[in-house]
Amino acid sequence: MKIKQGKIALSILLAGSLLAAGCGDKPAASDPKSEGSGTAQKTGGTLSISLDSDPPKLDPFSSTALVDRMVFQSIFDKLVDLDEKGDIIPMLAEKWDVSPDQKSYTFTLKQGVKFHDGTDFNAEAVKFNFERNMDKASNRKNELNSVEKVTVSDPYTVKVDLSQPYAPFLSVLTDRAGMMVSPAGVEKYGEDFLNHPIGTGPFVYKERQKGSSITLEKNANYWQKGLPYLDKVEYKIMNDANVALMNLKSGQVDITNKFPFKEIENAKNDTKISVINESGQGYQGLHLNTTKAPFDVKELRQAVDLLIDRDAIVKVVLSGAGSPAHSPFAKSQFAYGDSDKSEQPNVDKAKELLKKAGKESGFTFTLKIGTSPTNQQVGQMIQNMMKPAGITVNLEKVEFGTMLEQAKTANYEAVAIGWSGRPDPDLNIYDFAVTGSSNNYPRYSNKEVDRILGEARVEGDQAKRKAKYDEAMRILNDEVPYIYFYHDHNVFGLSNSVEGFTYVPDGLIRTVKLSKK
Amino acid sequence: MTFLVRRLLLAVPVILLVTIMVFSLLHLLPGDPATVILGQEATPEAIEAMRANLGLNDPIVVQYLKWLGGVLQGDLGRSLVDRTPVAELIWQRLPATLELTLGTFVIALLIAVPAGILSAVRPNSWVDYTSTFFALGGMSVPHFWLGMMFIVFFAVKLGWLPASGYVPFTENPLANLAAMIMPMLATGLRESAILMRMLRSALLEVMHADYIRTAYAKGHKESFVIFRHALKNALVPVVTTSGLIVAGLLGGLVITESIFSIPGFGKLIIESIYNRDFVTVQGAILVSALMVVVVNLLVDILYAVIDPRIKVGKGAEQ
Repeated sequence: MKIKQGKIALSILLAGSLLAAGCGDKPAASDPKSEGSGTAQKTGGTLSISLDSDPPKLDPFSSTALVDRMVFQSIFDKLVDLDEKGDIIPMLAEKWDVSPDQKSYTFTLKQGVKFHDGTDFNAEAVKFNFERNMDKASNRKNELNSVEKVTVSDPYTVKVDLSQPYAPFLSVLTDRAGMMVSPAGVEKYGEDFLNHPIGTGPFVYKERQKGSSITLEKNANYWQKGLPYLDKVEYKIMNDANVALMNLKSGQVDITNKFPFKEIENAKNDTKISVINESGQGYQGLHLNTTKAPFDVKELRQAVDLLIDRDAIVKVVLSGAGSPAHSPFAKSQFAYGDSDKSEQPNVDKAKELLKKAGKESGFTFTLKIGTSPTNQQVGQMIQNMMKPAGITVNLEKVEFGTMLEQAKTANYEAVAIGWSGRPDPDLNIYDFAVTGSSNNYPRYSNKEVDRILGEARVEGDQAKRKAKYDEAMRILNDEVPYIYFYHDHNVFGLSNSVEGFTYVPDGLIRTVKLSKK
Repeated sequence: MTFLVRRLLLAVPVILLVTIMVFSLLHLLPGDPATVILGQEATPEAIEAMRANLGLNDPIVVQYLKWLGGVLQGDLGRSLVDRTPVAELIWQRLPATLELTLGTFVIALLIAVPAGILSAVRPNSWVDYTSTFFALGGMSVPHFWLGMMFIVFFAVKLGWLPASGYVPFTENPLANLAAMIMPMLATGLRESAILMRMLRSALLEVMHADYIRTAYAKGHKESFVIFRHALKNALVPVVTTSGLIVAGLLGGLVITESIFSIPGFGKLIIESIYNRDFVTVQGAILVSALMVVVVNLLVDILYAVIDPRIKVGKGAEQ
């Protein structure tokens, strides 16, 4: 009973504070039609977005789930953001200067920005956020490892010193590590901040029903004049993609963050909805344990790689919602391209390799896969692709937590684990290939690769960096500690009543410019 | 009254046993909760710190006793995922499941009782064949499929009902019913089939009993014989089945809750297992066990009400 009363009291409080906020001064130019952007978007209305799982932690500091970031886009602004091409653009930081030695970044902040609780966004707040995320309890700590010191130069200038040049630094700030939360809010709620998220974003957290929905309301004092267009954004949790699609069709939902692959073709005939099927930042494939038989022999790894028909996987399992891959680099990353030349499966060549390794009649290995239907289908396809060369694959279904633990302790022969991807190529390869890195499950070690990837992350020039990644991939594609299958796509369902949608390669739905017809 | 007390006392070791089993099973599972919570990027140090923080380095018996100590003081612990008190999480999820269970059961009864009586009274008639046909259909068709079909038909094609989403009854009773009617029907139809078959066979057996013939011989009307004599005796197995059904529904509505996006109790358990949120799973299963115990108790009391010959209290002593 206590809880219920608490909830009611809280709702009254919230409603009261919202009313109070509503009575405040409204921005004068709230009519976007006068903004002269050409397309007139309607204001008002509620937009519903279905999410495939319930975001566990609404605080960038502790967040681990991908789905959290969908909601974060509406609540928290970042220092910098990504645009449609995957380039870094200003957001709360108006501009930044990088020192010639690439070791310090000076950010000039936007002025007049306020957090949802009414406190000011300024250099002190940025410093607070950096330090909070650098704490050892933070899940962002890894991403900010290179940061040594954060100094407030003046109320709207912050200097960040790195211990060594780190090329992906800005790209890290386009996601959770760059999201600005209210210092006053953190002080007030402490550990419970994740249930009371306060940022500077276009929408203000209102309430959530765990397992069912999260409701946000328009930030009337948003710093981008005339935005957002919508009054309300509602995230609805729908675990099943087919159920989400049905809701989209019946108009209960305007955008779905997952779309059943098999329905992509059918949806093309539907006049009420459209499908966004665009390349994301991640990849899927297999880790091969290089410290254990059979994959401690390079030829056997190469043979398996040669037998994989990537096109078939993309066509059959994904119905086209992916693209064949030979590298960890996504299409939106500058390193994508040359290392990704497609090679067709070649049974004869694979047999030759087997012969060279003394396994003429083939061999057997166990492949650990996750429990989703997609994982199983991919597993079965691999099983069949290996048969012509006499390789037998035993599939072993493993629950994800167990799989991660076994991968980390190298307790496997082959394991199918992908990576959701990050904007900078370094973050898609370094931790996976460099000796002793946290995600180097194959326990692969090559001094040459370590050197090249180490150089690539401190290099400031993009063209030179790309050349280094190409060089590293030449070695990795020959040594095959990891077999890349395909680059993930993000597939959204979109009601035709939604306007202003632009796809950004990080696959996150930005609500600030969305409206409903 | 002593019967009630005895029954309640009997429930204590059952619940205790359930908690021990759940606790040890969850901890015997391979896979480290700290790894799951922190995800793919976590460093070994962070995982070690998290393990220590969660108390996972203590011996399992110590962990169990600590937890049990909390439970006895009314503290089910805090969720490993977002630190919300588990009691609060459960409290938030229970209403939807209780409502769904109740609605499902009422629908099942509304269909099963008349259909069961009719087909038992007129065996091998068209009524019997039709209801048998539907009962078999109801039992064979998976209810998640039926649920999907309902959504396609009523929500997408006709647009009469919301495809999913849940509104608490206290907030908007009409919207609540609109959201709940499809899931209740989808599961209710299936349960009604089971109940109906049970009622039919129980009634058929009773109808051949001597006292029914006697009742007829005394010149009573058929409806009187059925409702006053036969049904009362046929109800015992039906009540047993009902108890099982309700107990099953309370924790087992996972699929229905998923399809219709209802934030219920079953979904909470599944989500928590998936997140390795041991503390929440333990709390939820404890509550689930409590609910089953309560339902069983109610069933036993109902026995005594329906059929005074069943004196459970004395029966148990013999």
